[in-house]
Amino acid sequence: MEIKNTVALPKPSVWSEMKISGVLGYAAIWAFFIIFLIYPLIRLFYDSFTTEAGVFTISNFQDFFTDAFYLKTLINSLILGVATVITTSIIGIAIAFLLLRYDFPGRGLFSYLTIIPMIMPPLVGVMGFVFILGRAGTVNIILQDYFGLQHPINFMYGLHGVLLVETLHLFPLMTLSIVDAMGKISPSLDEAAESVGSRGIRKFWDITFPLTTPGYVSGALLVFIWTFADFATPMVVGISDLLASQAYLNIVQFVDRRLFKMGIVISAIMVILAILFLIIAKKYVSIKDYSSLSYSVIERKKLSPPAQAGAIAFLISILILAFIPYLGLALDSFGKGWALTPIPVKYTLQYFERVAIETPKFIINSLLYSGISVVICIAVGVPVAWVMSRTKLPGRGVLDSLTTLILALPGTGIGIAYMRAFRDPFPFMGTALIGMWIIIPIVLAVRRLPYTVRGTFASLLIVHRSFEEAAESVGATKTMTFKDVTLPLIWKGVLVGSLYSFILALQEQSATLLLVVPGHEMMTVGIFNFYIGGSVNEAAALGFILLILGAACLFIINRMAGSKMGGVFG
Amino acid sequence: MFKMFKAATINKEVDIMKRFAVVIALTVMGFFCLTGISFAQAIENEFYLITPVSKDVHDPALKAFADFVKKKYNVDLKTSAMPQGTPVAYGQIVEWKGKPQADVFWGGEGTLFDLLADQGLLDKVTIPKAMWDEIPATIGKPVGLPLKDAKGYWVGTMLEPYGLIYQPKLLKRLGVEIKDWNDLLNPKLKGQIAQCTPDRSSSSHASYEVILAMYGWEKGWDWLTKLAANTGIFTARSRDVPSVVAKGEFAVGVAVPSYMAFAEVLGGYDLMFVYPKNAYVTPEPMAVLKGAPHPKAAHAFIEFLLTEEGQRIFMSRGLYPITSKYKVQGAAGSDAEKAVQFTAGIRSFYDIQVGNIYDPDVAGEKKRNEEVNSYFRKEIAEKYKEIIKK
Repeated sequence: MEIKNTVALPKPSVWSEMKISGVLGYAAIWAFFIIFLIYPLIRLFYDSFTTEAGVFTISNFQDFFTDAFYLKTLINSLILGVATVITTSIIGIAIAFLLLRYDFPGRGLFSYLTIIPMIMPPLVGVMGFVFILGRAGTVNIILQDYFGLQHPINFMYGLHGVLLVETLHLFPLMTLSIVDAMGKISPSLDEAAESVGSRGIRKFWDITFPLTTPGYVSGALLVFIWTFADFATPMVVGISDLLASQAYLNIVQFVDRRLFKMGIVISAIMVILAILFLIIAKKYVSIKDYSSLSYSVIERKKLSPPAQAGAIAFLISILILAFIPYLGLALDSFGKGWALTPIPVKYTLQYFERVAIETPKFIINSLLYSGISVVICIAVGVPVAWVMSRTKLPGRGVLDSLTTLILALPGTGIGIAYMRAFRDPFPFMGTALIGMWIIIPIVLAVRRLPYTVRGTFASLLIVHRSFEEAAESVGATKTMTFKDVTLPLIWKGVLVGSLYSFILALQEQSATLLLVVPGHEMMTVGIFNFYIGGSVNEAAALGFILLILGAACLFIINRMAGSKMGGVFG
Repeated sequence: MFKMFKAATINKEVDIMKRFAVVIALTVMGFFCLTGISFAQAIENEFYLITPVSKDVHDPALKAFADFVKKKYNVDLKTSAMPQGTPVAYGQIVEWKGKPQADVFWGGEGTLFDLLADQGLLDKVTIPKAMWDEIPATIGKPVGLPLKDAKGYWVGTMLEPYGLIYQPKLLKRLGVEIKDWNDLLNPKLKGQIAQCTPDRSSSSHASYEVILAMYGWEKGWDWLTKLAANTGIFTARSRDVPSVVAKGEFAVGVAVPSYMAFAEVLGGYDLMFVYPKNAYVTPEPMAVLKGAPHPKAAHAFIEFLLTEEGQRIFMSRGLYPITSKYKVQGAAGSDAEKAVQFTAGIRSFYDIQVGNIYDPDVAGEKKRNEEVNSYFRKEIAEKYKEIIKK
């Protein structure tokens, strides 16, 4: 969105405006980025290009690219990523169009419900699917017991199962990106096109498509990277020939040093690929384009009754599929000894007691660390957004790129980079940063920073510069102006962005799993530990609690951001 | 695994305290020379375990030990376990280089303990001689599997078979019976077997070695390839195998430590255990680490587990006593009796014929270990999709 200065004040030079404290603040932001983002990545690359003895070598990469198995994992990961982008596009775009362009009963409710599937703690999503669609899942059991099916249908075990889970989890990302982009298309453009005879497909191709491309590309990139970096989902359905799975499996065994090195190399390759995709998509993706909270009003067409029924049927069937894991999760977290029956026979609260009352640390740690990470997100993210929207400071373009880069970085890659970068003990302390719990909120903050930046940036765009200039013209300092004028106008956007950072921090698993400090486990780590420890019910119960927390946050966001489907999503 | 840094951090306080302790100790020793020794207490108030034995068993063992210490010494013992897979735990102990952050290493293969002893990283076990002598030197024929170290550096704590498990309802539906290894190759079980890969699970690895010892290298791998053809899932961790079988996702599980499957039974699921011929039986060795921060608690823990009270903890959790002195039995409906039903009647491994051809001298070598893993990776894991098509 272009902001024009309506008041023509002489612009003082950037530097003379800056106070010492401003310079220090800006330096502190940069220090944060350098220490917690750039340095770990450099360290990861350094490790992947050197031998154990620290000699430069490219043989690690040679090993990777000459090994048929690793190459296959790379290809599988790329195929899975692309396939997920395609399936989420089909579902996501269809839903976005329906919700934006047409009017039908329940539209408002659907626009809330279709975001919900995003709230899916890692691992438990796929577990929920297996409970319902697995070989001994509800569907197969009913088919076998009542319809004479001989062999269970394999819905889950294989790449197609991963694709199913990722699609139904990630299509809302696509919907939101498209909604965000289409919301920015002024209806006058549509009218103009129609007035010169461009209609239907032609209009879509000429007007809608080019204007929604940036939103679509950023959504596609997020979906792709998410799938690309997920190792928990494939693990549950017995798939290990994917890049992220190999990175994880090789890293978590540290007996065979060669395999361990391979894990580092694979992570480096994943990060390089992510950067590469980002460069390709750069034309379309930057924080600055992650537009505003304001949408142009789109006139919705009323659908004919049969079309209405069709639209509703479509939405309901997608939602039923997408809510399968919630059903499975709920059943398994309350059901005892559930095996080979459509639903559990015995019910109990013991799993909730165990994960919430006997060991409340998971919930407490999750809330605490996610809370701290949001504080860091605000402390770093709000100034970054302000610098990007209100100043011409050198390096702000780089800040933009770095913030976008974070979105594209696979969690496994960041986790492993941190493990390598912060493993040396501090002088005089005997403990390294990776042995201290503070590393968890830090990595969460870094990973979820873009959402805060984005929410703030979007809000800043709609606060007219002239308000601030008015304050400054009567002698207010920059800080005072920010506190008295800007902040009251943007706090809602900041809060929504931060809440979104919070939800996603609560659900983070890939990086925290690698960095967890014993005794300081969060819910996602607890879910994973219970799962691999064989306590599937406890994992489900913890997942269920996390789900409720996430849905509650989303509800608050939805209320605050009004009818705009979450505003900062995308 | 992801807890690998636990080691470095398990107790920073201890670490800092240690530094203080060194400074103070040096000062004290400088002035009072040898007087400090007489202040020693009966037992420390902390105790740390590093173990691949899962929470199902190590948790109750630690709790019972803390109660025992409270009763006997009136000391409130703080216990903690670092759950690590066997190879990781071993790597960790070597990495500690004689300054361990745990007191006792529990579980895994005897050969690894021998290796640690050779590197001077273990203390000799100090339990009463009668207790030591009750434990037979080996179990199984033709190859005797050591149950304690001749040099006295480690001692077995219980007997734990790596066997086959099945979901009775599902197996009945398939019309299959599982009694021994070869029943696993029944074509009706196609896609119904769950196993963990030998490079990720030591129980799986040991069972692969049993097959290779039974059939020889070539034929053994042929057999294992056929097993892969019937396999529906290679799980990420060995503990997942009983989970997926209990749930009914897969009918049969291979190379499952008895107590892991029995934990599912205690959790309300229906599972049965089969002890096939020559299946690996581990004594879950235990040793005190040299330089352990709490040596007295460490030695007391070993002694405690070998008493009847300690052995009973195991017996109600699907494990077997290390000596012939005790048998798994209890009141009708007790966990111990459930365990007997679960294994179709086994009360003690000293009552039944224990075959063993797993040779620790062959299978224990690190080189051999890697050879088996890489053969598996090249010939089974990477060709899995073609194998199951056959």
